[in-house]
Amino acid sequence: MAVDVETVVKIAAYAGGGMAMGFGAIGAAIGEGYTAARANLAISRNPKISGEIFKNMLVGQAVAESASIFALVIAILLLFLDVPVPSLLKASALLAAGISMGFGAIGSGVGSGYPGGEACFGIAKQPEIASQLTTNMLIGSAVCQTPAIFSMVVALMLMFIEFGNAPLYPTWAAYLGAGLSMGLAAIGSGYGGGLAAGASCEGISRHPKTAASVTTIMLVGQAVSQTPSIFGLLISFILMFKSFPESTSLSAAMALLAAGICMGFGGIGPGIGNGMAAEGAVRWVARNVEHAGDLMRIMLVGQAVSQSTAIYAMVVSLVLIFVV
Amino acid sequence: MEPLRQIQKIYVSRAMMTAIIIGLVFILAGYKPIGKGLILGNIFSVINFILIGETLPMRIGKSRGKTFSLSLASILFRYALMAVPLIVAINFKQFNLFGAIFGIFMIQFIILADHLLKIITSTPEKHVQG
Repeated sequence: MAVDVETVVKIAAYAGGGMAMGFGAIGAAIGEGYTAARANLAISRNPKISGEIFKNMLVGQAVAESASIFALVIAILLLFLDVPVPSLLKASALLAAGISMGFGAIGSGVGSGYPGGEACFGIAKQPEIASQLTTNMLIGSAVCQTPAIFSMVVALMLMFIEFGNAPLYPTWAAYLGAGLSMGLAAIGSGYGGGLAAGASCEGISRHPKTAASVTTIMLVGQAVSQTPSIFGLLISFILMFKSFPESTSLSAAMALLAAGICMGFGGIGPGIGNGMAAEGAVRWVARNVEHAGDLMRIMLVGQAVSQSTAIYAMVVSLVLIFVV
Repeated sequence: MEPLRQIQKIYVSRAMMTAIIIGLVFILAGYKPIGKGLILGNIFSVINFILIGETLPMRIGKSRGKTFSLSLASILFRYALMAVPLIVAINFKQFNLFGAIFGIFMIQFIILADHLLKIITSTPEKHVQG
């Protein structure tokens, strides 16, 4: 059966669309489920304010859903958009766009469910600070969406930017590597950011007077947790925009694909680890605010050490791109 | 469920107003497809938000199986609905695709903007000192 280029592009776009929405739905569904589970617990603890808890759950779920709506946008674009000049390189870029968005939405979706759930439970314990908890939840959830936004940006670039007369070999592998680097690296950061945001809602509901310190440490912890996804973004930008000399050797293509895989997988653990460090710091600052400075320092040192594995992954990726 | 309805009313009316104002500005400035795309996307964003709120109480107090089926049906229906403005914008030149994409996130923008404004306009509480 002979397959023309146009058909290959369509196959790649459909496969990319399927992956974008299929994987992209996982995270938001788990996150929203967690929020709902905690809301149930909250209502059973304090049924008199079920309306207030429902309200918070609605707003929390609406924001947590953003990651899967990003995935939906990319999936629909891949399924229905016309490709004016079909080429094998474009097929690779479209498949990579779906991979980037699909994987990239998982962590943010799960992560943004945590602050939603903890805020619902916190409202049951402290109904008088419901508004403060909702605001903190929304800030935490919004920051969790950052890795998914990076993934969407990379997906849109892969879909819409014309990369000129780049040679098919080995550029096809560079595009796939770019999608994998961004999509996978975003998982850990999105999830880790959610851990910190969830702990901050729990902490504020326990000691409302510590809200300012808790929110500050949450934001610092979340910002550091995002670093592996920024490394993923950096590697995918290099893979997309660096021009590679034409080479039909399979090893040249595999080096670029491996660079993306290395940074992508290498970013998952540090993102989660950084989030755990931030979660611990935020949780204990709420209980022991007079030692907030010490706790923040320990958090940052712990995150820096946890980050080192992402830096190793980035170094190996750079070696694969520039040296091998 | 009064607080739920109230919050829906607030965010839906604000989202509609914002989309109509921004959409009109684009239309008057000569970028008609962007304005129309934005308003179209916003309408579906608002419907999605109302449906989340309306189906929440329906899922409570039912058996586990019924709750699961209702939640699944609700998600499938809402996502299919959210795809409509995107497909329309891709197929009809009268609607700009990026305007429609911006429009479907209008409720989320309004929720975040509302709470950020509250933070900016409220007097900062004194930090607890150690």
